[in-house]
Amino acid sequence: MTDPMQIDPSISEEQTRREFLGKLAAASTATLAGGAPRVLSAFDGEAIEHPAPTADACIVLWMAGGMAAPDTFDPKRYSPFKPGTPVKDVLSTFPSIDTAVDNIRICEGLEKIGSVMDRATLIRSAVQPDLGSILHSRHQYHWHTGYVPPQTVACPHIGAWMAKVLGPKNPVIPPFINIGQRLEGLGENEEIKAFTQAGFFGSEFGPMNLPFPDQAAKAVRPPRDMTPGRFENRYRFFRKLVDRTPQREFMSEFHQESMLRSIDNAYRLLSSKDRDAFNISLEPEESFKKYDTGRFGQGCLLAKRLVEAGARFVEVTTEYIPFIHWDTHKDGHNTVARLHSEIDGPIAQLVLDLEASGLLDRTLIVIASEFSRDMLIEGVPGSNANDQATFKVDTIEERKHYGQHRHFTGGTSVVMFGGGMKKGFLYGATAEERPLVAIENPVTISDLHATMFTAMGISPKTAYEIERRPFYATEDGTGRSVAELFA
Amino acid sequence: MRSAALVFYALLLTMATGTFSLAADDAGKPVDFSHDIVPLLKKHCVGCHSGAEAKGGFSVSTRELLLDAGGAEPGNSAESYLIELVTSPDPELRMPPVDKPGVSDDEIALLKRWIDEGLKWEDGFAFGPRTYEPPLLPRRPELPPVVDGRTHAVDRIVDAYFAEQDVERPIVIDDERFVRRVSLDLTGLLPTPEIRDEFLADKSPDKRLLLIRRLLDDDIAYAEHWLSFWNDLLRNDYTGTGFITGGRKQITKWLYGTLVANKPYDQMVQELLTPVAGAEGFVQGIRWRGSVSAGQRQEIQFAQNVGQALLGINLKCASCHDSFIDRWTLEETYGLAQIYATEQLTLHRCDKPVDKTVPAGWLFPEIGNVDSEADQSERMKQLASLVTHPDNGRFTRTIVNRLWHRLMGRGIVHPVDAMHTEPWNADLLDFLAADLLDQGFDLKKTLELICTSQIYQSETPAVKSAPDEGSFVFRGPLPRRMTAEQFVDSIWQLTGAAPTQFDAQVIRAVISEDETESSLTETKLSGKWIWSPAEGQQVWPDGGHQISLRREFELPFQPARSAAVITCDNEYILYVNGKRVAADPNWESVELVGIQAQLRAGKNEIVIVAKNAGSGANPAGLIFEARIFLPKTDDEPGAELTIATDEGWEWAPQIPDACGRFRGRKPEWKPAALVKHPEVWSSRANPQLQSLLTQAMTGEIHMVRASLVKADELMRALGRPNRDQMVTSRPTELTTLEAIDLANGQRLADAIASGADSAASRFHGTPDALVDWLYGFALSRRPSDDERKLAIGYLGQMSEPARVEDVLWAVVMLPEFQLVR
Repeated sequence: MTDPMQIDPSISEEQTRREFLGKLAAASTATLAGGAPRVLSAFDGEAIEHPAPTADACIVLWMAGGMAAPDTFDPKRYSPFKPGTPVKDVLSTFPSIDTAVDNIRICEGLEKIGSVMDRATLIRSAVQPDLGSILHSRHQYHWHTGYVPPQTVACPHIGAWMAKVLGPKNPVIPPFINIGQRLEGLGENEEIKAFTQAGFFGSEFGPMNLPFPDQAAKAVRPPRDMTPGRFENRYRFFRKLVDRTPQREFMSEFHQESMLRSIDNAYRLLSSKDRDAFNISLEPEESFKKYDTGRFGQGCLLAKRLVEAGARFVEVTTEYIPFIHWDTHKDGHNTVARLHSEIDGPIAQLVLDLEASGLLDRTLIVIASEFSRDMLIEGVPGSNANDQATFKVDTIEERKHYGQHRHFTGGTSVVMFGGGMKKGFLYGATAEERPLVAIENPVTISDLHATMFTAMGISPKTAYEIERRPFYATEDGTGRSVAELFA
Repeated sequence: MRSAALVFYALLLTMATGTFSLAADDAGKPVDFSHDIVPLLKKHCVGCHSGAEAKGGFSVSTRELLLDAGGAEPGNSAESYLIELVTSPDPELRMPPVDKPGVSDDEIALLKRWIDEGLKWEDGFAFGPRTYEPPLLPRRPELPPVVDGRTHAVDRIVDAYFAEQDVERPIVIDDERFVRRVSLDLTGLLPTPEIRDEFLADKSPDKRLLLIRRLLDDDIAYAEHWLSFWNDLLRNDYTGTGFITGGRKQITKWLYGTLVANKPYDQMVQELLTPVAGAEGFVQGIRWRGSVSAGQRQEIQFAQNVGQALLGINLKCASCHDSFIDRWTLEETYGLAQIYATEQLTLHRCDKPVDKTVPAGWLFPEIGNVDSEADQSERMKQLASLVTHPDNGRFTRTIVNRLWHRLMGRGIVHPVDAMHTEPWNADLLDFLAADLLDQGFDLKKTLELICTSQIYQSETPAVKSAPDEGSFVFRGPLPRRMTAEQFVDSIWQLTGAAPTQFDAQVIRAVISEDETESSLTETKLSGKWIWSPAEGQQVWPDGGHQISLRREFELPFQPARSAAVITCDNEYILYVNGKRVAADPNWESVELVGIQAQLRAGKNEIVIVAKNAGSGANPAGLIFEARIFLPKTDDEPGAELTIATDEGWEWAPQIPDACGRFRGRKPEWKPAALVKHPEVWSSRANPQLQSLLTQAMTGEIHMVRASLVKADELMRALGRPNRDQMVTSRPTELTTLEAIDLANGQRLADAIASGADSAASRFHGTPDALVDWLYGFALSRRPSDDERKLAIGYLGQMSEPARVEDVLWAVVMLPEFQLVR
C-alpha cells in the first residue's frame, strides 16, 4: 500500500524557501492590521530617517549581576589580599595587564580579550541612574528596555525593537534569541520575565529563549521520540486536513491565513537545514573546546553559529541568579577570578571567529552589565540605597571579605567589537581614586542604546503609537548616538 | 538667526565642558513639543484659535495651519507673528486679549526657543474641539420597530442599523455551531459530547435559551472562565513582579468568591474600592523597591487603574501632564489619586514637582463629589458610591462594552479602554447599559441578553482583512482566537491531561448562603511536616539525605472512597502497600493522589521515600494526609479515617527498590520527628493542601482549569499577559514562535500522547468511531466524508499509537479548532 502522506518530491527546497520569504512579507502586514501599534513617521515635525546601518546583527554579552569595572576592564590601584588591609584602601583586587592596545590596560585573567582589544572600542564611562535601592532586575529592566520600571505600558526589550523594525535577517531564524537565562525556578524570575519580552509589540517579536545552549537544538527539533519522517507526515496530514475543511468560505480570512502561515513558518524552521545552527554539538571538536568553559562559553558558540546562519539579535548571559556569578556580595575576588576564566576565552574566540568568517565588521558585539561594583560604595556617593554587602567589615581579615561587594552605578565599562565601531579605541574615563565615578564623556543607557540602534540602522527617535501616545526606541526619543565611537 | 546660533553655542558649551553631574540638566535640552508647547498653546490659544471657528482665521490646530496663517517663521522667532502678538504692548493687538491672563516671560522664552528650533510638531497631532463627547447619564433609547419577527431588543436595534447601513443580515448558525460558540464564550470549555448530544436532540423551541441559562448556572465553570478576564482587567496574578519584595497583594480569593456568587457588579466594585478584606490588592497596586517616577507612585497607579478598568478612561497621559488626546487633566488625575492618598500629594508635571496641590475629587462632579475633608476610608466609600451611582452611565457602558467585545469580537466602542470614542451605535450601547442597571447590575443577565439575540447567534462574516479603524461597519460577530486558557482547557478536556494541582488559592466550591466559607475549610489539615530527628546541633539534614518514612494502619474493610495529598522538600516517592502511586521533585507543587485502588481490608502500609537535594544542610520536610471513608453498613456507623504525618510515623535509612520492597537487611524503623521550622513551607503549601483535601472531601473534583494555574511557557506564548499592566484584550493572531511551541513543545506533546493513549483504548479497533468522537468534541460537527476517509486512512488499524497522536494534533491545530466562531 502506498503511504497517502508521501512527500511530494516536486517541491524543491529552494522553491519552498522563496515561497516562504514571500509569505513572511505578507505576515508582517497582517500583523500590523491586527491592531498592532502604529509606527510614527516623524518626530517633532522632522521625518524619522533611519541611519545607514554599519551592522546587520547584534550580540549582547550580558554580565548579569553587576560586573565590577575595577576588576575587569577598568583596573585601578591594585591591592593584593592581605589581612588587616582597610577596605577603603582597596580599589582593584586584580593587577592590570597589557593589551594589544598601548593605552589600554585591563585586569589579569582577561589575557585573551586583551589580545583582541585592538578590535575593540572600550567605554569606561557608562552611567546608570541611582534608583534609590538596588534591585538587580529593575536595573536590568532599564538596561534592556531603556525605561525605568514600573511603566504604564509593557516596554519592549531592545532585541524586540530590532526584531520589529528590522525583521529577521534570515527568515527562518527567529530575529530575537535569548541564550542562557532560565525563567523559572530562580530568584527575581518574575522581574526578569517582565523585560524578557516584546511588550506591546506582541509576542511575534519576543525572544526565543534558549536557557541551555547544549539543549538549543531541541528547541527547533520535532518533539521527543518523533522521527523526522513522522514529523513530516504529520504536517502533510495536517495540510491535507486543512484543504478538506468544508468551510471553504473562511479559508481566505486573514485570521485563518495568518494562523496557517505561522504554522507553516514553524514547520519550515523545524525541518530546515538552518536549524543546524542551533546544534552546537555539530561544531568541530577543536573549535568547540575553545568555547567550552561552561554554559556562557557554549552560549557564545551558539551565538556565533546563529549569527553565521543569519540571526538578527542574540543575547548571551552569564545568567542572573541572586548572589551568584557577578552578583558578588562576598568572596568577590575568587568569584570574579572564576568568571574571568569562563568569559575570557569564549569572548575572544567569538571575535576572532566572526572576523575570520568576515562577519565581524557587520556584527556589533556589546559586553555590558546593569552596573559596576565597588568595594565600599553602594549606589553612588550620597545614595540612600541600603548597603547589601554580606560582611560589613572595615578591614579585610578573610578571603570572603576580599572583593567588590557593593553595587555601584557611577561608572561602568562597556566593550564593543565590530559593527562599525572604532578599533583599539578608548572612550571616557573614571576617577583614579574613589569614588570611581565617570569623569569624562558619560554615556547613559539611552545614549548607549542610541549608539547600538544607530549602528543597526534604527533611528533612536523611532516611535510607535500605543494607546494613542508615542513610545520611542530611546526614552522620549532623546538618546544620542555617540558619534566618536564610530570608525 | 542670532538666537538660534546662541542655542547652538549653548549646546556646544554644555557638551564640551567635560565635567558632568549626575543630576539631569535641562538647560541644553531642545524644547519638547508634546510636553512643553502643547500645554502652553492649550492654555492661551487653542480656546479661540482652533477647529472650524478659529477666530480671525488664525488657527493653531496644526503646524500647517499655523504656517498658512503666517503665524510663525520656523527658525526665526524674531520674525514670527505669534511672538509679536503675545509680546505686543498694544492692548488692542495683544494676545490673549487683555481680559485674559497674558503669556508669562518664561512661556514667551519657551515659545521663542520652539520657533527657533524649527517649530517641531508631533507627527499627525492636531488641536481642535473634540467632535464627540460621550454622554454621562444613562439613556433609554426608543427601540426601532420589529422587523421579520425579530423581537429581541438587541436585534431590533441592530436590524435598524443594518437597514440604515445597507448591510445584509448574516444568517443564523445551526445548533452544532451554536453549542460550541456559546459554551466557549460563557464557560471557556468545549461542550462535552453529553451536553452536545442532549442539546442537539432537544426539540423544544427555547432550547438555546435553556442552554445559555444552564451554562451560566454552572457557577464554577463560569467563574473559572471569567476569572481570566477579571485577572487581566484588575491586574491580578498568582505570581509576577512586586511579590518578591511584598509590594503586591493578590485578590484571587475574593475575586473567585465574587464570581462564583455572581455578586452584582456595583457591589463587586464597592467591595473592590472600599476595599473589603481580600480585595485590597487592586487599590494598592504594585510597589516596587527603590524610587519610582511620580507618575507611578501607588496613588497615581490607583487613579490610572480605577480610570481604565472601571470607566474606560486612560489617565496615563494625564498622570504626567494634561492629556493632549482627551480632556483629562493632571489636576483631575491627582484629585482622583488624592481620594486614596493618606498624605497630601504634590503635583508633579513630567516627573518634576510643581508647587501645587489639589483636593480629593472625582472625575464627573456633575453627579456629586467626595468630601475632600473626610478621612480616607470615608472618601473611598464615597468614591465607590459615585462610581457605581445609577446616574453614572459611564460605569455601565464601560462594562457592557467589554462584555460585547468578548462575545462579538469587537467593542461597540473600540478600543474598549477608550470610552470617549464614538460608538458605532449609541443606542445599542445605551440600551445594554440601561438594561444592566435595570437588572440590578447582574452581569450574567447582560451575557444572557447578548447571547439570546439573533445577531449573537449569527454567522461570522468572512473577513478578508483586519477592520480599518477609521470606517468600521458592523456586519455581525467576528471570529475570535481562543485565549491561551481556552486553548489549554480544551486540550485538557480532549486528552484528560489536566494537572492535579493549581496555584490560585481558592476553594473550588459553591458556597451556599447558610454556609460560610469556614464551614468548608473546616477540613483542617492535620498532617505535620516531618523528617528523621535532627542530628546533633544540625537544624536541617544535609543535601542528598535520603530516608524512608512509614505508617501502618488497619482497615476493617474496603473503604468507600479515599484521597490523599502530599508534598515534600525536595523529592518523594509514595508507595501504598508496595505499589508506587506518586512521585514528585518539586515541593511547591502539591499533589492530590488517588490511593483507593491500593487500600485493602486488614493491614495497610504507606512508605514514602523522601530525599533532600542541594549541597550542605538545607530545609527538608515531608507532609502527607489521607482521608479514608469507611461506608456505613448494618453493623458499622460509617467513619472517616485520617492518616497524616506526625510523630507517630517511623523512619529508616534504608530505601526500598523500585517495587517498594526492602531487600537485604530489614529496615530498622525508629520514631520520626516533627521538623523545627515548618514555617519554611507552611504558608504556601498548607493552604493548597487544604484546598485539595476539601475538594476531595466534598467529592466534587473539577478538572483543574488553566485560569487557576500560573502562566507557563505555552500559555505565555499563546498570549496570556504578564499582568504588570492592565491588559484588556488578547492577541488576535498566532505567531511563528507560538506555532513552534505548538509543533514541538513537550507539554502539549505529552498531553496529546496521553489523550491518544486513552482514545486508542476507548475506540479500540474502530477508527471511524474515534474520528467521529474527535470531530464532535473538538469541532462540534461530524467529519465530512473526505475528512473521515483521510483520517481513517492515516490511522490505519490504530496499531501505531503515534498515528492517533498525529490525528489529535492535526485537529487541534486546525484554525477551525483555534477560533471561536
